[in-house]
Amino acid sequence: MIRLENIHKSFGGQIVLRGVSGEISQGEVLAIIGPSGSGKSTLLRSINLLAPPSSGKIYVDGMWINDGKTDPGQVRTKMGMVFQQFNLFDHMTTLENVIYAPINVKKMPRKEAEKLGMELLEKMGLEEKASTYPRHLSGGQKQRAAIARALAMEPQLLLFDEPTSALDPEMVKEVLMVMKELAQTGMTMIVVTHEMGFAREVADHIWFMDEGRLIENSLSADFFASPQTERARKFLENVL
Amino acid sequence: MIILDFERIWPSVPYILGGVQITLAYTLISLCLGFLCGALLALCSVSEMRPFKVFSSFYASVFRGTPVLLQLTLIYYATPQLVGYNISVWEAGILSFTLNSAAYLSEHFRAGIEAVDKGQKEAALSLGIPYYLMMKDIILPQAIRNSLPSFVNEAICLLKESALISVIGGADILRRATIVANEKYIFFEPLLIAGALYYILVMILALFGKFLEQKLKQS
Repeated sequence: MIRLENIHKSFGGQIVLRGVSGEISQGEVLAIIGPSGSGKSTLLRSINLLAPPSSGKIYVDGMWINDGKTDPGQVRTKMGMVFQQFNLFDHMTTLENVIYAPINVKKMPRKEAEKLGMELLEKMGLEEKASTYPRHLSGGQKQRAAIARALAMEPQLLLFDEPTSALDPEMVKEVLMVMKELAQTGMTMIVVTHEMGFAREVADHIWFMDEGRLIENSLSADFFASPQTERARKFLENVL
Repeated sequence: MIILDFERIWPSVPYILGGVQITLAYTLISLCLGFLCGALLALCSVSEMRPFKVFSSFYASVFRGTPVLLQLTLIYYATPQLVGYNISVWEAGILSFTLNSAAYLSEHFRAGIEAVDKGQKEAALSLGIPYYLMMKDIILPQAIRNSLPSFVNEAICLLKESALISVIGGADILRRATIVANEKYIFFEPLLIAGALYYILVMILALFGKFLEQKLKQS
C-alpha cells in the first residue's frame, strides 16, 4: 500500500533521514521505534508530505505522490494523522472538530456528518463530550477525540506520531486500548511510539531506526525475541 | 486664580456634543475598514509568496514611519491635484485613518497569527483542508482572539488621532470646541469639555476591552 524508496530528508544543514526504504501493506500495523532524534517522526511526516522528502520516492497504492504534481491535500485525505500534542482546534467543540473536515473537504451534508461524528465519538467513549471545548477535556479524551477526527475522513491509513508521549501515565492505557481496537478492525496503521508493550502486542512489523537509517525491519515477535543488530539489542535493554 | 465660566458657553455645549457622533463615526468606520485591510495585509505577510510579503512590510513601514497628520493632509490636498478628484474632508479622513490603522492592525494580526500553535496548521493540513479554509476557519479566529487586546488599544489610539481631522475642517469634537472658543473668546472651558468627552470615550473603549478580555478568558 505504501512503498518508500530511499527517502532522504534534511532541514537546513541537518540531515535527518539518510535513505530509508520499506513497504507497508494493507491492514498491517507497523511500529516505528528507536532512540530520540533517530528520524522516526520525520519519516512519518514525510509519508503524508507534512515534511516532504528532500529526495526519494513515496508510492501510495502504486502512485508516486511526491512527484511535485500530485496535490498534497488529495493525498492527505486518504491518511489520517494523530499528533503527540493532539492539535485539536481549540475554538471548536469536540463534535465540530470531528465533522469540520468531512463537511468542508469532503462536502458531506451536515446531517450525515453529524451522525458519523456522533458514532465515532460513541466508539471513543466521548459521546457526552460532543459539545465540550477541548480545554475542558483530559489528555486522554483529547487524544481520543483527535483519533475520532482523523477517522471521520474515512482514511485508508492512520499515522500516529507518538500518540501517548504527552499523556499522564494514567491516560496512556485508554488511548492504547482504542488504538488496539482500531488495529483489530483491520485499519492500516503506522505508529511512532516509545510504548514497547504496545509495539510488541499490537504491531505486526517493527522498524527500528537509528541516526536517520532504518537498521532493522522485522516481524514484531522476532524483533522482541532476538533483535539482529547490536544497536537494537542495546536499545531494548535500556527501555524494557 | 483661574475662574471657570461655563455659563457663557452653556448654550454651545449641545453643539460640541454633536461632535461625538462625528468622532465616533471616523473612528469606528476607519477601524472596521482598517480591520479588513489589516487582515489582508497580515495574510500577505505570512504567505509564502515573496512579492506579497515585501508589499505588506513596505506598506506597514511607510504608514508607521510617517506622521498621520502628513498622510491626512497629503491625501486631502494632493488627491485633487493628482487625480483630479475633489476629495471631501470626510473621504480624506476615512481613507487616511483606514490606511493608517490597517498598517498597525496588520502587525497585530500577524503577531496573532504567529502566536497560533503550529500544530493547528499541521492538523488542518493533515486533514486535507485547503489553505484558504484553514486560514478562514482555523487560524484567523484564533489569531483574532490572540490579538483582541491590541485591537482595543488601536481603537483608542485611532479615536484620539481622529482629532486631526479638525485640521482640514472636519467638524469633530475638537473642531467644534475650537469654533465655540473662537466665537466667544473663551478658550479654557470649551477645550476642557472636549478633553472630558475624549477621556470618557476612551474610558468606555478601555472598559469594553477589559470586558472582552474577561469574556475570552472564560470561553
